Parts: sequence; structure tokens; C-alpha cells
Amino acid sequence: MLLLQVLINGLLLGGLYGIMALGMSLIWGVMNIVNVAHGALIMLGAYLAFWMFHLWGLDPFLSLPLTIAALFVYGYCLQRWVLNLVVRAQLFLTLLITFGVEVVMINVARLLWSSDLRQVTPAYAAANFEIGQLTIPWVRLWVFATTLVLSVVFLVVLEHTRLGRAIRATSEELRAARLTGIPVAHIYAVTFGLGAALAGAAGGLWGMLFPITPMMGGSLTLKSFVVAVLGGLGTMMGAIVGGLALGLTESFAGTYLGPTYPNAISFGLLVLILIFRPTGILGRRT
Amino acid sequence: MTTRESRKHRFAIAITALIVGVLLAGGLAGAADEIVLGAAISQTGKYAREGKFYVDAYTLVVEAVNKAGGVKVGGKTYQLALKLYDDQSDPSLSVRLFTKLATSDKVNFLLGPYSSGITIPASAVAEKYEIPMIQGGGASGKIFDRGYKYIFGTLPKAELYFQSAIEAASKLSPPVRTAALLFSNEAFDRSVGEGARQWLKDAKIDKVYDEEYQPATQDFTSILAVIKTKNPDLILVAGHEENSLNFIRQAQAAGVNPRMMVFTVGPPTGDFRKTLGKAAEYVYGVTPWLPDMEIGGQIFAAARDFDKQFQARFGYGADYHVASGAADVLAFKAAIERAQSLDPKKVRDALAALDVETLYGRMKFEPTGQIAMSQVLVQILDGKVVPVYVAGKFVSKPVYPTPKWNERR
Repeated sequence: MLLLQVLINGLLLGGLYGIMALGMSLIWGVMNIVNVAHGALIMLGAYLAFWMFHLWGLDPFLSLPLTIAALFVYGYCLQRWVLNLVVRAQLFLTLLITFGVEVVMINVARLLWSSDLRQVTPAYAAANFEIGQLTIPWVRLWVFATTLVLSVVFLVVLEHTRLGRAIRATSEELRAARLTGIPVAHIYAVTFGLGAALAGAAGGLWGMLFPITPMMGGSLTLKSFVVAVLGGLGTMMGAIVGGLALGLTESFAGTYLGPTYPNAISFGLLVLILIFRPTGILGRRT
Repeated sequence: MTTRESRKHRFAIAITALIVGVLLAGGLAGAADEIVLGAAISQTGKYAREGKFYVDAYTLVVEAVNKAGGVKVGGKTYQLALKLYDDQSDPSLSVRLFTKLATSDKVNFLLGPYSSGITIPASAVAEKYEIPMIQGGGASGKIFDRGYKYIFGTLPKAELYFQSAIEAASKLSPPVRTAALLFSNEAFDRSVGEGARQWLKDAKIDKVYDEEYQPATQDFTSILAVIKTKNPDLILVAGHEENSLNFIRQAQAAGVNPRMMVFTVGPPTGDFRKTLGKAAEYVYGVTPWLPDMEIGGQIFAAARDFDKQFQARFGYGADYHVASGAADVLAFKAAIERAQSLDPKKVRDALAALDVETLYGRMKFEPTGQIAMSQVLVQILDGKVVPVYVAGKFVSKPVYPTPKWNERR
């Protein structure tokens, strides 16, 4: 019974990890930018959800579309007028500029909102239901369902729409894409906007499960990075699979080895994957 | 030639006048009649929030002492003064600033920084220059187990954090028979855990779960899943405020229902209760001090008065950090008056032998320099912190066993 409970816990959390990594994987895959500010974008999404809940009483699930839209616009502008300056520069330079963006965002958030812990607490926050001896928290289930829906929508957009094809074309063959008339700068900005929107969604959902602070992003950037690499860079399904894999790994390691082990095991897994399957679980061989 | 000489002459006179003037001004400003307490404390960085508690506490008490007539030594009255720097929550900067306070500012005595991590290196500076330091922000045993002579601390020992809780638990009915112990693997929380093991053994409570976790842990669901299968009567958690928040929320969602749940950090602080809302109800915590405890002494006749004055001045209520910081200044006043001297060595000896009542309770240091004091067990009821068990006695009846999550309104 414990085994099943641990499995469910891992899966439910893994969905959230998946959507966190999806945005990072997209930006990385298309633009070759390792977005260090990804966690800060998640933080921004979490705070937007918090303030809409706190000031207007807006349910965090209902405010999710607003958060996503706001982060899309923010991400679009950030790419178009800041990151675009270094888009094809060396990896080190893009790391540096996204790091700078992260530092600015965190400190502005601290100035505006202080470092107090905050939490989005709708009335149903701690409700659960039981099946036999299993206990399943409603919020985690809904968060999981939402991540699945968002992921599917996102994958459909990427695979089956003109915009998605343009994004993929730009990612695969930049020169050819430009020759066929794809406005590359615009597509890059849209891609970054989508990545930021996914981060915002992850933030809005995260704030329902855990307390938020301006500094919360650092560890989430790292988690997203691990998940993106685990699953396989550039494959969007990979991020989802990687997220579930990380959630399950953490859950099982935490239960059967002890609560100090999840990180050691997760990063150990990352190292193993990089040695034996450098392209990740679902990655294509190049 | 003459003009040059007279110019030289005039220049010399001007310089002399300037020096004499400065000396006079210095004398008039009362440098000789001042006792300067110096400290570097976090005003920015990750400890900025707690650091402010101490800055405000020091400020208020220094003002109150001066208003009440200052410190009397051998028929002479001294005013207290503060010399504060910002250590930016950085231990190495703290060491540089304390060295500056000891060597170039030549302050008389030292107050402490905040957090065990910064106090450990900072206290080494006090020891090196043999200047007494009383600090109210570090409780780790590591500060006191180095045989230092000049360090005094006013937060209770880490090993004692759960003593009162476990003692109380063993006296409740129905009695607590099994306990789960969970603590972060930071030095301080480990000491809390080690202490708790001993107290559980003494109280003959069966330990059914005993684990460490990483302080950065957000998700406690797998820990809770295991604890749930053990169904303990008592859960003890040592960690940061964020850990406590996550644990309580997730315990509710996972339907973990112990009779009693105690946390080292969180319950006594206002924004903890605000963040958790109703989920904070019935949770137990520990604190060395509460504003409505029946204690008081010099300057502040009752803890309540101190809290009132503090609230009026700074716009927020005093917690145990504030009281501990306030006690540090009061301990210096008491020790200096007892020593009848400003000599660091004599004041140190007076501190070691100190035994006075203050707004923080009885100030008496153990040979290690740490205060001999136990924790008060509190419970959150109707959003308020209610003292339950103080110094071996129940002072109010706790709501026990804790109502099950799904049976609450």
C-alpha cells in the first residue's frame, strides 16, 4: 500500500516538474539559450497568482490563463529587446545575460514584495479523498491534470499549427527558415514567450502546493535543467517523461533510502544518463 | 622671510587650535562618559528580517536605560551608546567588522550578530581581543563548546528545544506512547534531534520514526507517507520556518493525524500563523519567551510593558528574538554595575556570576556561557499563541488530542 502511495505521490509531483522543464527545454532547443532566469519566471508566475488571489480573491486555477498571458507578453518583450542582442552569441554570453535578468528579477521582487513567505490558500487547499488506505490530495490531482492538459495543448500547437511549424523550422534550419519568409526575430520572441508562459503556469500551480518567496527560483531552475536533460533536450515529450521520472525517483528515494537522499539520487541519475545516454531518455541521436 | 616665518607661525597656531578644539569637542561630546556597545548585525541579505529585530531591540533598551539614569559605576553615571554595522548576512564580513569594532573603534563591549553560522566566527574575534560579547541570536552548541571565556548567549541550548514538549507529552492523557522525530541535517537541528532522542528515552516514549532531511526540502509527501504508516502519537519537527509550513500543509493534505505536532520554528511568529491560516490551529511550538509571561525586572517591570513600548516605537510586536536581544543590553548594564568597573575582564567575571531577573526571565549563565533556560511549550488556539507548559508545570489546558483534520470546522 505504501508502495502505491509513493508511486502516486511521485507521479503527481512529477507532472509539475514536467511543465516546469517544458519551457526551459523549448527555449534551449530552439534558441540554444540555457535560460538561467527560468526559475525567476516561475517565481513571477507564482506571485501573479498569489496577488490575484490575495487582492481580488481570484481562484488560482481561474487566474492561470491570466498568469500565462502576462508571462507570455513579458517573455516576448524580454527576448525581443534584451536577449535578442546575444541570441547567436557564445553560450557563455547567453548564460551571463539570463543570469543578469534573474538577479534583477529576484531583487526587484524582494524590494516590491519583501522576502516574507507567502502562500496561495484557497478553501480546498488541503482537501483530500481516500481510496482504501491511499490518500490523494485534491489540489495535487488537479495540478497534475492541469499540467497534462497544458502539455497536450502545447504539443498540439507545436506539431500541428503554422506557428509550431515555423518554430520547429527555425530551430532545425535557420537559414532555410529565413529564406522561406519566416520572421525569425518574431518567432524567437514568440518561442521565448511560450517558454515564459509555461514557466508562469508552473509558478501559478507551484504556489498552490508550496510557500513562495522571491528566492524560490534558484532551485527550480536547477530542477528544470535536470529534467530537461534527463528527458532529452529538444524533445518536448522528453521534458514530460523526465519530469515524471524525477518525481518518481525523488519519491522512492525519499521513502526507501531516507529523506536526505532524493537530491543525491536525482543528480546521480543525471550523471548516469549523461554517460550512457547523453541525448536523454527520449532524445534523438544526432 | 619674515612674512614666510609669520605665515608658518600662524599655520602652527591654527593647527594647534584645531587639535585643541577637536579634543575639547570630543570631551564635551561625552566620549569619556559613554559606554559603547558595538555590533555588526545583518541589516541586508538573507537575515535582514531577523537582524532588524535585534537592531530595534538594542535601540529601544539603550534609550530606556539612558532615560532611567544610565549605568552607574563608582558614583559616576555613564550613558550607553550603540555602534552598529551591517554585516550583509555574510560571516566573513562580520569577522572584519567585529575586528574593526575591537581594534579601531575600540568599543567597550560587544553585542552579537544573528544566526549561529555568523556567531561562531564572530565570537572568535571577541575571544581574541578579550572583549565580552553577549549575543542573543545564536543557540548552536558550537558557539559554546570551544572553551571560550568571553562569549555569553541568551538563547537556550539546542538540545533543550524539545525537552518541555516531550515532558508535557508524557504527562497528558491519553498518554503519548509513540513519537516520530524529524530534523534537518543542519548542525543546529541535529543538536535539537540528539537532545530529543534523550528526552524521549527519559520519558519512555517509543521512537517509531527517526530521520534527517535536507533543509531545502519542499516536498514532505514521501516522509509523511511513511510516518502515516507508523501512526505516531507525537510528531516532532526541527527545521526552518518554511519546512514547518510545508510539513503542516502537506500533513493536512495527506491526512496525517497525530495527537500532538510540535515544531521548533514558526508557531510563535505572526506571519507564520497568517500564512497558514486555519491550518495553524492546534499546532504546538516552543519559544523561550512570550510577551504575556509573568516576568520582569530592571528598566522594564514586566515583559508586557516592554512589548507595549516596543510595539509603539516600531509598529510590530516583540518576539523571542527581540526579547533575547533586549536581555543582552540589560545583562551588560547589570554586570557593569556589579563589577563597578569598565574593565573587560572584571565585567566578564561579573557576567559569569550574574543572576538577575529581567523582562526575558532569569539571566544566569552556565559555565559554557549559554543561558540556563528551558523552552515554553505553546499551542496555537484561535490564531493566538497560548503558553501550555512552563518550567515543569502546565499553565493552561491544551486542546489534546489534536482534532483530526477532517473533523474540524
